[in-house]
Amino acid sequence: MKPSSSSIQIKLIRLILTICGLVLLVACGSFLLYEYFTFRNIAKRELNTLGQVTAYNLTSSLAFDDRSDATDLLQALRSQKDIVAAALFDSSGNLFATYPQKISPNLLPAAIKGQSYFFTSNFLEGYEPVLMDTKQLGTLYLKSDMRPAFSRLLLYGGIASLFFLLVFLLTYLLSRKLQRSITRPILHLAGKAKLVSEKKDYSVRAETKSDDELGTLTDAFNQMLTQIESQNREIQALNSNLEEKIDRRTAELQQANGALKEQNELIQTIIDSSIDVIAVLDKELTILTLNKYAADFLQHSSENLIGKRLLQVVPELAGKTFVANLQQALNGEFIHVEAYHVQLADAFFENFFIPLRDQEGVVDRVLLIAHDVTGIMRANAKLQLLNTELEKSNHDLEQFAYVASHDLQEPLRKITTYADLCEHKIDNPELRTRYLQKIASSARRMTDLIKAVLNYSRLSRTDAEFTEVNLNFIIDQLETDLELTITEKDAVIKKEVLPAVRGIPLQISQLFLNLLTNALKFTEKAPLITIGARPLTPEDRQITNLLKGDGEYLKIEFSDNGIGFDQTYADKIFYIFQRLHTGDQFGGTGIGLALCKKIVENHQGAITVKSEKVKAPLFLFTSQLTPGSRKQPVPSWIER
Amino acid sequence: MLLLAFCFASFLCRAQTPSTASQVKAVFLFNFAHFVTWPPSSFTASSSPFVIGILGTDPFEAYLEKVIEGERIEGRPILVQHFKDIPDIKQCHILFINRDSPPETIQQLNQRGILTVGDRSSFAKEGGMIGFSLENNKIRFQINAKTAKVANLQISSKLLRLADVIEK
Repeated sequence: MKPSSSSIQIKLIRLILTICGLVLLVACGSFLLYEYFTFRNIAKRELNTLGQVTAYNLTSSLAFDDRSDATDLLQALRSQKDIVAAALFDSSGNLFATYPQKISPNLLPAAIKGQSYFFTSNFLEGYEPVLMDTKQLGTLYLKSDMRPAFSRLLLYGGIASLFFLLVFLLTYLLSRKLQRSITRPILHLAGKAKLVSEKKDYSVRAETKSDDELGTLTDAFNQMLTQIESQNREIQALNSNLEEKIDRRTAELQQANGALKEQNELIQTIIDSSIDVIAVLDKELTILTLNKYAADFLQHSSENLIGKRLLQVVPELAGKTFVANLQQALNGEFIHVEAYHVQLADAFFENFFIPLRDQEGVVDRVLLIAHDVTGIMRANAKLQLLNTELEKSNHDLEQFAYVASHDLQEPLRKITTYADLCEHKIDNPELRTRYLQKIASSARRMTDLIKAVLNYSRLSRTDAEFTEVNLNFIIDQLETDLELTITEKDAVIKKEVLPAVRGIPLQISQLFLNLLTNALKFTEKAPLITIGARPLTPEDRQITNLLKGDGEYLKIEFSDNGIGFDQTYADKIFYIFQRLHTGDQFGGTGIGLALCKKIVENHQGAITVKSEKVKAPLFLFTSQLTPGSRKQPVPSWIER
Repeated sequence: MLLLAFCFASFLCRAQTPSTASQVKAVFLFNFAHFVTWPPSSFTASSSPFVIGILGTDPFEAYLEKVIEGERIEGRPILVQHFKDIPDIKQCHILFINRDSPPETIQQLNQRGILTVGDRSSFAKEGGMIGFSLENNKIRFQINAKTAKVANLQISSKLLRLADVIEK
């Protein structure tokens, strides 16, 4: 350890030098200041005395107007080395006499200023009144050069500075030597203390050299070290004992922890493996915990979800029954929702909201268990659909049974009757032939009926594809097929150019065939058939509340000048085997319009009829214009 | 008053006229009082006035009165008195003699402690105390120190310095 680098040494030397320097500075400064002011006062007093003496002698010169005498008196000032200028002014301020006799005007004041002595930059100047008794006869001006005196003062200053420096240097040298008696033991002690703190070696001891306070300090330091050493030993012994205990306890705890962890992991695995949504939320609807299934359902990792608000994660839930159910459960109610539709996922869940209570029995959390019942719900829906279809089918069957029992019986009854008659009129061949013809005609009619029923029933289970159908082409085709009847009946078909629609071509063809044959059949002479198409008006939608689809519809109007019927029968004509006219009057199986209705319904459309007794009946139905993006069948409707 | 005197003094340098010369003399007459000390016996009381007398015709024409107006000598008021003849003179401290007088008479006056001032350069030699004269256009004066001493009057060295002193 170098003594020169020790801060306490520097501090001590600095302290001594500061005090010494300050004392010297104050002493020299006050000496110089005192000298300066004393010197000034003396100079002033001296000049004042000189002024008074001179002025006294000058009284008679002024009184008796003797300039030469005054000049002579002033020249006596030559003996005063410092006086550079003097002047006598008479009572009206005019220059009376000067010293030196020839003087440059700038050495003299331009006018008399007061009656005092004062310092200017390098001079001491003064005015002394010249008095005769009490009467002022004039003023004496004196100017003394202070520069030589000032240079003397400067010399004093220089000597004082030199003295200052010498004493300062001496102090420095002395303080360097003398401070060691104090700093050496302190530095020694500091070195030992540093050794102790750095190496943690408490066996170090400092040497005692003096018997003053520093010696006491060193002794106390040594004693302290001894105490610390012994205490350290005790603490170490205690520590090793404690460590052993802690190790044992830690091992026990680790074992317990391991078992607990294993159990926890098992429970977590069970919960995570559950195929139900399991989650616990608190009163703020913050997710406290949730299983893997729940996290997967929300399409987040569970780390991202835990601690977040439910509505923050799934804002769509706001205002939904689900949240209300959570709140109800938080109020202590056990809630069971059998089927909750989750719109986002289009899934159904059976939800259980179970209130969880804290140790005091207050509900503070809610356990949510949700079981996915989408499959069951879907199956249910399918079952319901099938049920509806079955009901409809049943209804059809009932109708069919009724028809079979009624309409099919009629030709059978005829056949039976004529067969009986044939048996009795065996000898009359002419009559018998007529009866046999009747039987054949009835059998043919029976065949027609059965064919028609078969056609109708086939419509119920068609799997044909929907394609774009050109209505114009179909009607042209039908015209060709029915050419004979048209010519025979002298019928006219007026049709607009119709747009293409989506549908099953064969069924559309059947639809128009039935309508055309119907029109031709129920007209006695020269039928006029018109076919047109217009966009569906809102009123049309209102009239026909039968329309199910929300797609774009086309209204197709089909009218003829046929027999017409009462509007009250408008619905009836579409049922199978419902005929408004007797078979004798007009031919037909009574199944045509029922078929039409079925076809239109297959196309999601509607068919109605408007008729007045006098005017021609009007069939209307709709169909979509062009292929739509919908996968569902394009609807159409017909009206009569 | 003195201010006026000095103005005239400078004026004298340029154009000396008998009247301005007598004005300067009037001022000098008053100023003499400041440089001469009278014995206490020449005053009857501490408050008795200081008297300046004029024997013969008055050359100052009331100017002297102007000069002393408001002035005091050692606290005493100043009085100007005109005397026709010597027996008229009673209390007097400075006497301006503006006529021929025999030296015995003047000596008699000297013995009474009166500062005698004459308007001739020979006046001091002839037994007076102070005599005015004109020298290089300036008013000067001679002092007979001996007669003054006889009269128990102390003349200040400052005054003697300026004068031609006659020791006889």
